[in-house]
This record gives sequence, C-alpha cells and structure tokens, in this order.
Amino acid sequence: MIAEWIGKIGNFTLTLLIVTAYGLFMTAFIERIIAKVQGRIGIPYWQPVINILKNFFKRTAVSHGYMFYLGPVFRIAGGIGTLAFIPVIYGSETFSNFSMAGDLFLVIYFMFFGQLGMALGAGESGHPYSAIGIARGLSQMTAYEVPFALAVISIVIQYDTLSITEIVAAQQGGWENWTVFTNWVATLAAMLAFLGMTGYSPFDIFLAPQEIPIGPPTEFHSAYLSFMSLNRALFGATKLVLFMNLFFGGATGLLELMIKTWLIYMVAIVIGVSFPRFRVDQAIRFFFKIPTLIGIMSIVYAQMMLTS
Amino acid sequence: MVSSFFSDILLHPLGIYVLALGAGFLIPLFDRAHRGSAVLVFFAALAGMVAIAGLNLLAIVNGAPSIDIETAGIAPPFSINLRFGLLEGGFVLAVNTAALLAAWHCLPALRQHASALLLFLIMVMGINGMIMTRDLFNLFIFIEITSIATYALIGMERTGSVLAAGFKYIIATSVATTFFLLGTIFIYYQVGTLNIDDIIVHADLIQGPIGFIATLFVLTSLLIELKPYPANGWGLDVYETAHSGIASLISVGVSAGVFFAIYKVLPLMDSYLTSIAFIGGATFLVSNIIGLKQDNARRLLGYSSIGQMGLLTLALALLLQLEASSQLVLVVGGLFINHMLAKAGLFWLAGIIDRSQLKDWCAIAQRPGLLLLLGIMMAALIGLPPFPGFWAKWQLVMILAEGGQYLWIAVVLIGSLLEAAYLFRWFSHARGTDNNSMGDSSTDEVPPQAVVSLAQQLPVAIATLLLFVIGYVMALAMNIETPGMFLPLLAGFALWLIDGIRGRLKALAMLLVVGAGGYWLTNDLDGINRLFSYLLVGGGLLVSIAVMYRNDDRRGFYPLLAVLLLSLAVLLRAKTSLEFFFGWELMTLSSYLLVTLGRNGVKPALNYLLFSLASAYFILAGFALAYAASGSLLLSDLGNSGDSIGLIFSLLAIGFVIKMGGFGVHIWLPGAYAEADDDFTALLSAVVSKAGIFGLVLIAANLGVQSDIGLDPTYVLGWIGILTATFGALMAVFQEDIKRMVAYSSMGQLGYIVTGIALMSHLGWVSALYMTVNHFLFKGILFLSIAGIVLRTNERMMYKMGGLIKNMPFTFVFTMIAIIAMSGVPPLTGFGGKWMLFNALMDKGWYFIAAFAFFSSAVAFLYMFRLLQTVFLGQRKLEHAQLREAPAILLAPQFIMIAAIMVISAYPRLLLDPLSAAIDPWISNTLVWEGFALQTQYGYWNAPMIMAVVGGVWMVPLIILLLVSLTMKIQKVEQFNIVYAAERPHRPEDTHFAYNFFAHYDRAIGFLVRPRATAFWNAAVEWSHTLASSLRVFYNGNGQTYALFILMYFVAMVLFNGGLGS
Repeated sequence: MIAEWIGKIGNFTLTLLIVTAYGLFMTAFIERIIAKVQGRIGIPYWQPVINILKNFFKRTAVSHGYMFYLGPVFRIAGGIGTLAFIPVIYGSETFSNFSMAGDLFLVIYFMFFGQLGMALGAGESGHPYSAIGIARGLSQMTAYEVPFALAVISIVIQYDTLSITEIVAAQQGGWENWTVFTNWVATLAAMLAFLGMTGYSPFDIFLAPQEIPIGPPTEFHSAYLSFMSLNRALFGATKLVLFMNLFFGGATGLLELMIKTWLIYMVAIVIGVSFPRFRVDQAIRFFFKIPTLIGIMSIVYAQMMLTS
Repeated sequence: MVSSFFSDILLHPLGIYVLALGAGFLIPLFDRAHRGSAVLVFFAALAGMVAIAGLNLLAIVNGAPSIDIETAGIAPPFSINLRFGLLEGGFVLAVNTAALLAAWHCLPALRQHASALLLFLIMVMGINGMIMTRDLFNLFIFIEITSIATYALIGMERTGSVLAAGFKYIIATSVATTFFLLGTIFIYYQVGTLNIDDIIVHADLIQGPIGFIATLFVLTSLLIELKPYPANGWGLDVYETAHSGIASLISVGVSAGVFFAIYKVLPLMDSYLTSIAFIGGATFLVSNIIGLKQDNARRLLGYSSIGQMGLLTLALALLLQLEASSQLVLVVGGLFINHMLAKAGLFWLAGIIDRSQLKDWCAIAQRPGLLLLLGIMMAALIGLPPFPGFWAKWQLVMILAEGGQYLWIAVVLIGSLLEAAYLFRWFSHARGTDNNSMGDSSTDEVPPQAVVSLAQQLPVAIATLLLFVIGYVMALAMNIETPGMFLPLLAGFALWLIDGIRGRLKALAMLLVVGAGGYWLTNDLDGINRLFSYLLVGGGLLVSIAVMYRNDDRRGFYPLLAVLLLSLAVLLRAKTSLEFFFGWELMTLSSYLLVTLGRNGVKPALNYLLFSLASAYFILAGFALAYAASGSLLLSDLGNSGDSIGLIFSLLAIGFVIKMGGFGVHIWLPGAYAEADDDFTALLSAVVSKAGIFGLVLIAANLGVQSDIGLDPTYVLGWIGILTATFGALMAVFQEDIKRMVAYSSMGQLGYIVTGIALMSHLGWVSALYMTVNHFLFKGILFLSIAGIVLRTNERMMYKMGGLIKNMPFTFVFTMIAIIAMSGVPPLTGFGGKWMLFNALMDKGWYFIAAFAFFSSAVAFLYMFRLLQTVFLGQRKLEHAQLREAPAILLAPQFIMIAAIMVISAYPRLLLDPLSAAIDPWISNTLVWEGFALQTQYGYWNAPMIMAVVGGVWMVPLIILLLVSLTMKIQKVEQFNIVYAAERPHRPEDTHFAYNFFAHYDRAIGFLVRPRATAFWNAAVEWSHTLASSLRVFYNGNGQTYALFILMYFVAMVLFNGGLGS
C-alpha cells in the first residue's frame, strides 16, 4: 500500500516535471511567435526559467498577511492538483497520475481551487487593481463556463462516461474517432470557451498584461511571483492536456502530446494576435450568444446522432 | 323544596327571560337609591343568564333531553314554544358570555344612563329569544326587540356620526323586518301555522308564487340582517361609530341570533341553498378585498365581521347541501365561537386603545401584553392553530373537497388570505413599522403609549383564554395526538412566564426546554423523519447556542424560538396531514413573530407571513384533495389518491416551494432573512428552510414513488429548482447588503435541493439530502459569522467594511471554509453534492438542467468571492482598527460545524450510508461503493483520496515557501503599503474596491435580474386595491341609498331565483 503510494508519487513527480518544463518551453516558444508576428525578435527560450529562478531567489519580500502569504501556495497547489487528477498519456501507468481519485467533473471543479485561493491572497494585499482584475476574471469565467459545460455534457452523452481515461479510450483507433471529428459541434463550443480560458486577446482584459498590470499578480513579487509564473506555465499546459484528452484523441506518447497541445495552443494564439480586446461585458455577452448556441446544438446533436 | 325551586324554576332556561325582565324592573328602582347598586343588579342578571345557559347546556351535553318551554299552558303548535337544545344552548351560552364580557368592557359608558343598562339586558334577551324561539312570528318579535334595543344603545353616544349611523341602522333593519313579517304572513296563509316545526312538517303546502315569495322574503330579510354585500353600508357605519362594546355585541351577538334564525328556517329553503352559499361566499370575499384598503381600525373590523358572517353562512349552506350536517357543530360551531371570541376581543381592544387610524396603533408598540392579545385575536380570526377556527376551517375544507366543491375551497382560502393581509397589516402598525427604538432612528420620538389598566384588558384576556381552551377541546375532538402536539405551545408559555429574567439565563432555559421536548417528541422516529430530526431539532439546538451572544432582554424571543423549534419536531412527528398542517402553521406563526422582532423586521415579516400563508393554503388544498381521493388523513395514504395524484403533488409542491423561496415567489425571502435578528437569520436559513425540504421529500416519497404514475410535475419542479438556483445566485451577485446577499444565496442553494428531489431517483435524493446537510452546515456558519461581523461593525453594507481578516481571523477562516464547502470546489463537502447531482441529472437525461446547474454554480463564485474580498480583505476602514474577534459563544457552534464539514469531506460515506438507508424503503439503493470510492454509471469519486492528494499538493509548496522564507527577509507591511494610481493611498474609502463590485456583470446580463417578480407582486397589490376601490363605490353614506339597496336586494333575489314565473 505504502510502496504503491510512493511509486505513484514518484511517477507523478516525473509527470509534473515534464509538464512544467514543457509548459515553460512553450511559453517562450509562443512568446517568440507572437514577437515574430509583431516584427520583434522575442525572448530567448530560457527566459521564463530565468525569470522564475531570479524571482525565487530574491533576498527580500514583504507580506500583507497570512492569506497573502498563502495565496501563491493555493495557486500552485491548484495547478499541481489539477494535473494530478488528469491522466496525461493514454495507456501509460506512469503518466496516469491520481486520475483514479475522481473523474472529469472533479477536474473541472478543482480548477477553481487555485483561482479562489490566489484571489483571496491577492485580495489581502489591499490593492484595488487586484480586486478589479479578479472581479472581471470571475465574471468572464461564468460566461465561458456555459459553452464549456454544454460541450462537456455533450461528450458525456456521447461517451456515456465521466472518466477521462475512458473518454480517451473511446477515441483510440484512428483520427476519425477523435471527438473533434465525431462530435465537432461540441468541440467547436469547447474551443470557443478555451479562448476565454487561456486569457489571450480578445479575452485578456482581466489581466490587461500590456498596460497597467491588474489582476492577482499586481502585488505579488519575489518568491510569490515565481510560484505564480511557474503555475501559469504548468496550469496552461494542464488545460491543454485536458482539451487534448477530451476532444483530440489524447496522446499515446510524449511527442504526440507535445504536437497536439502545441496545435491546440496555437488556436488561441492565432486568434489572440488577430483580434483586439473585448471589454469584459462584451466578452460576457459574446459567450452567451454564439458559443452558447453552439453548445446547446452540441447537446441536441449528441442526443440525436451519437446515442445508440 | 328550596333546591327544586332553584333547579326547576330559576335554573330553567326560562329563567333567562325572567332575569332579564326582572332586572329590567329592578334597575330603575335601585337606580333611584344608588347607581352602583343598579349596576350590581345588572351584572347579577347577566351572570345569572350565563350560569343558566351554562348549567343547562352541561346537563344536555351529559345526556339530558333538550328542554322545551311551552307558554300559555297549551302544547305547540297552538302556542309559542321555545327550545333549549344542544345547538341553542351552545349559542345562548356563547352570546351571554360575550355579552357579560362586553358589559364589563363598556361599563363606563353604560353606567352613564340607567336606561342603557336596561336596554343592554333587553338586547341580550332578544338575542336569546331569537335563538330559542320556535315560532315564526315570535321570532319577528324578538328581532324587533333586539333591533330597537340595539338602535337605542347605538345612540348612547350622542355624536352626529353615531346618530346618523343609528338612524341608517334602524331604517335598514325596519325595511328588512317588514319583509320578514310579510313573508311570515304569506306562510301562515298557506300553511295555517306559525310554529316552525309544524311549518317544516307541512312544507309541501308552501307552493306557487305565494310560497315562493313567502320563503324568499323570510330568508332574504334574515340575510339582510347579516349585512350581505353590497347592501351593508349601514352596518359598516355602525361598526365604525358605535361604542366598541355595543359594536362587538352587534357583530357577534345580534349576528349570532340572526344566523341561528336562518339555521332554523333553512329546512324550508332547500332550493335556495345555492343562493345562500353564493351570498355568503361573495360577502366573505368582497368584504375581505375591500378590507385591504381600509385604514380605519373599527371599519376594518366591520369588514372583517361581515366577512366572517359570510363565511359562516357559506359553510352552513354548503354543509347542508353536501348533507354533512353531522359536522355542523364542529365546523359552523367552531367558526362561530372563534369569530365570536376573536372579533369581540378585537372590538374591545379597539375600544380600549381608542385609535381610529391604523397607523396610530403604534401606540401599543411598547406594550407587549396588548400586542400579544392583539396577535392572538388576529391569529385566531384567520384560522391559525391552535384556535377553534383552525380546526373548523380544516374540517370545512375537507368536507368541501369530499363534495368536489373546489371553487368554494378557493373562495374560502383566498378570502382567508386577504383577511390575513389586512389584519396583520394592522398588527404591523401596532408593532411599530416606521419607528423602532432599536434602529438608527434614535432621534425619532416614541409616540405616546396607550395607557390601559388591567381591568380594561380583562374581557379580552378571558376571551383569549377561552379561545385556547376551546381550541384544545376541539383538538381532542379531532383526534390529535395530545399533549405531544401542544408541547410547543406549553413550552412557549412556560418560557413566557420566566421572560422577565436575564437574557442568557432565558436562553439557557430555552435550550434545556427545547432539548428535552425535542428529544421526547422525536426519539421514537425512524427513517427520513429521524434524519430530519437530527437536522431540525439537533441542528436547531446547535445553532441556537449562538443566541447567547446577546444578553439583552429580547422580550418574547426565547418563548417564540422554543415554539418554533418544537413545532418543527411536531412536523416530523405528524402521522396525519392534519397534524402536519398543525405543525406547519405553528411554525409559520412563530417564525413570523420572530422576524418582526428584528430591527426593521415588521414590514418584511408581513410579506413573509402572507407568502407563508399562501403556501400553507396550497398545502391545505393539496391535503384536502388527497383526503377526498383516498378517504384517509394518514400521510402514508397520500399515495392512494388515484387519478388526482398529479394535481395533489402539484398543489403541495407549490406550497413547499413558496416556503423555500422558489423562483418567482421568492420576494419575501431576502427581506425576511435580512431584517430578522442576526442569530435568528442563521436559524431561518440553516434550519427552518429545511422544513420545506422535508415536506417535499415527504410528498415525493408518499406520492411520487408509491404510485407508478409517471409524474410530469416533477420535471417542472426540476426546472423550478434550477431556475431558483440560477436566479438566486445572479441576484446575490448584485447585493450590497451582506445579509441580503447570503439570503439570496440561500434561496439559490435550496434550488439545487429542489431539483435533486424532483429527480425522483435514488442518487438524486441522496444528493438532495446530502446537500441539505451541507447547506445546514455552511449556511449556519455563514450567518453566524455575519452575526459576529454585524455585532462588531454595526454595519450590513459590505463596502463599508473591509480588511477585517486582521481583526477577526477566526471568523474569516470559518467563513472561507464555509464558502469553499458551498462552492463545490474539491476537496470539501460541496463537491460531493454537485457531483452526485450532476450524475443523477445525466442519468435522468435532464441535460439542460445540468447545464444550468453548471452555470449557476459558476455564478455563485462571484458572490462568494465578493463576500470574502469586500468584508475581510482589501483595505480596512480606519474606524475598524480596534474591532475585536466575534464572541466565543458565536464561534463555538461554527467550530463544531467546521469540524463536521471536515469529517464529511474526508469520509462522505459516514453521511451517505445513513442517508441511503433512509431512502432505501422508497427507492432501491443504486450507490456502488468500492471501499471509500463511490461509483455511478458515469464516474467515480474517491473522497479520501482526493483529500489526501489535495492535502499533499498543498503542503509541498507551502513547505518550500516556508523554507524560502527562512532564507530571505520577509517584512510585514502596514496597511496602504501599496502603490496605486501613482501614489500611496491613505484613505480606505478611496482604495477599497467593493461598491458595485460587479458593475460590468450588471452591464452584461444585469437585465436578467431586474426585479420583475417584485414588480409583479406590487402590481398585484395595486390591482387588488383598485378592485377594492371599485367594489366599495356602493358605500356613499346615504341612508336612503342604503335602504334602496336593500329593496333592490330583494328584487335581485327574486330574479336570481327564477322570478315569479317558477
């Protein structure tokens, strides 16, 4: 029993390291692509790692209180935990993590864990920009959750299971079995929601990264900030893995995983560099219109076409 | 010899007349000597009349034959005879008792004139005669005697308006009695006798146009005496202006006599029963509608009196029509005695307090004794338990349902609701709506309080006592489990007796009483009822510990709280629908009164009461239909209701959903929750709201599953639940007031539970019960935390707080854990509920409801975060720097609930196994356990493992950060140590982002939550007031017009009943 757990923890640590490293690499990679689009050279590949290490070893820090102190801990625990509940590579015991603890529903709800904790930490700093950013981010979240939830319900109808492993299993045996081809309506709704989830333009106002920094990072610095940047890479990669599992057939090897997740990410990037930013109320209304309609259609589609 | 003289002569019913007439001669005689001695004679005569009626009635109840008084030494029908039977005895005793009390009440006025004393006796004697006589012409004589005496007594106060009212009265009654005489003559012409019994025997002789006119005249003139709408303006003027004692006697005494006279001649009126029912029903309904607009207390009582007599007439006619005359004593007798005591009591109170405008009744806001009397009278009048009206109205509705008279059920219930609306609006004024000594408006003056001596209150107090006693007797007659069902009231009474001691001691006594009583009431329950007993009684006690954080006087709070908590136990114990309804109404009444004790609780409490009563009436209607269909009052027989099961389920479900604040009928909820006392809000939300859930589970179990009929209403219920959840959450997002916000949240969270029950599947029910327990835990914590915050900050607006984490760290942590448990974020309890609900929804195929559940739980994050952010985080107000943590007695129950959340989070099976076991008798178990992992058709949930993983991934970064902290210098900074807008802020008001927190959300989808429901209900109030205005155009105050109306009433009756052609 204990040996089993130690083995699992060891395996998970390995997964964690790989996904984090990949996430960091991809952050830089994407930054470079964006830079190229905008006619710049961009950052070196190791820049995200340097940033994290630099921040981590800063000699001084301030604290606004114990919740502020715990905020980044909650944040990264949320990222790690989400990854822990997702099987990363299909058919691999090593990369199955702790997905036996719960199903897709657990993953979706656990995503909030880190966000809520970090939001509370940021709140204690007393900086209004933190609170404003969080208020906007949460509002936007309620909106993109709707098409996402509809898409998830649609694929649960389709596969008759909430287990991520089984959803991936059902998509094996050729690209034509991937959800994106069998249930393209749900995939479309989910990918629209994905745009909101990743927080790139046009849905990036809650962070407003280009001008005034708002949102949770406003007051965080030094080791706190390094935790948060680390999580941003990790959590971003985790969400990609989830989308890959649900809609793009999962991955049977690391290379397949990297290619697929990179391609999924590129959707958000291409749209991000092409479209200007929505105001938050516009973003909310956007999600409640076409994406929600598509989501509703996906359920009808699944009910009529995909159930035996 | 002497004793037989007493028993045969003096105590014979004839003695009533002897005493009245004898005293009539003696009073002027004694008055010559001394006014006081005349008064003594007067009271002796009245008391004798009561005693005679009482003793004779007692004998008849014990089996003696009814007494016939013959006159002139000849047997009837050739002479006039009077009868004193069971019904007559009851009415006579009631009237004479009321008269005695009324005499005491208006003694100061009566003793001004010796003739008034005399007239009073004559009036009472006239009423006695109207009840007892068996001769039609003699009846006319007694009506005239009564009318003239009444007219003279009205004129006792010689102001213009009184004299005008008296004149209209005598004109109206004269017109009516003239027709009565004409009718009598016609009957005599056809039958040749005046003896009522003889006429009934030869009823077949009454025929043709003459017979038609004869009976119609007799009937209509008697009905006119009962002041039917619209020919009743004259009566209203009298009620408004006459001395309150006289008005009370007109309302209960004269009306009783006339009513009994109608009862006597009814055997001749078989063909008119429908008309009579219609007149009674219309009068009841219309009087109560018009009453809504009335601001004058006395005139209001007039409308209420007329309405109640309408109800009595309606009940009488319908019972006879349905051939349920064996129930007459219970229904008509119960309604009559209830009306008599309560209405007379109200008239007397109105007389004592002597404020004509309702808004001036705040004169008794500081007089708890008078308020109590007023409240009891009103509760009795609208038929709340344990008063006679409750039992009578229940029985009436049951009989109507059995007879298929659904329309009349609606009339009775709607009329009762309207009556409750204006009566309790009055009560609200008396409680003091606008000024409140505890509120911020300390500058407001307390209006001069009414000065009332105990002697003045005596008649009202006796009436109150009689109401309780008769209510108890009726409960025995209805086979209610006693004393169990009465335990809440007994406990409340016992605590009321010690209400003078110190606050915390009272609270302790209350906890002990409720603990012992609750245990006694619930220790032999099993199944779902037992589960709910832990939640409602055990949980109620746990939350109630917190009430000890206040040590002030809190008059009435503890007794009422005991009544409320024990009435919940009664609800659980109920075996029959009547017992259930009894407990339900008791809960409604006590929780209403508790809400009025809040700072500005009076107005929201009225809303709460009206919606609760509407809910209760839906439940009553549902139970009545079930009784009609299954012939049984047992709750376990609800399922044997055959085809009407869908309708019954719908009615009951509507009732329970109103009580839970369902979408569209929620508007009472935020106000009541927000304005109730802070610790009581915790009870309302965490405990009392569960009564509605219990009701839903009860009917879902007994109605939905036992029968194999697929219930469509459950799908509607599922949607209602989820829309409640969604809109509750959306409305919570935009609140500034912390209590209102959490109140809306409560509404939303209950919505999920409704949906879970509506699923009608094992998993759905387990999820519903699980969420119920969870809701109890987190809402208990939240509202108790809020109580602590409000106690310390004296604020409810969240933007006026901020940064309280520094002062109230425990409260913050408790609130945070409660909020995580509510949000559904793993690993705490909320996730399990959401997971099971989602699985059950998918299983059932309710996909769009599942999508709404997703959306509403996402929206819930908005207000949950807002609560933590704006109250505990952000910038602290300078004046809050010195605040202390909430008192330990508030934190203690929260701590226990936190511990429960933690245990259930890690090992949900500890809770799920008993929940599942309680459901198993209804739906077979579908939970598949693998160790501690729960599996469904779709997914799996291993709570201990999730807890372990989350704990692990949380601890590792924490340890790393702690290690880093060792190496670097972490400096604690002060408030404002941030850079914002290029400066270091110094005022929290400028910096704390809290007001209109989700402005952007409002701009995006705020249009969804514009207060449409409130607008709708306000419009409904507006319409009913407009209707009331247009219905009272008949009352122009002109005596000639009123007389014309009476004539036209006769014409209308003739036409309505087929004209002369028949």
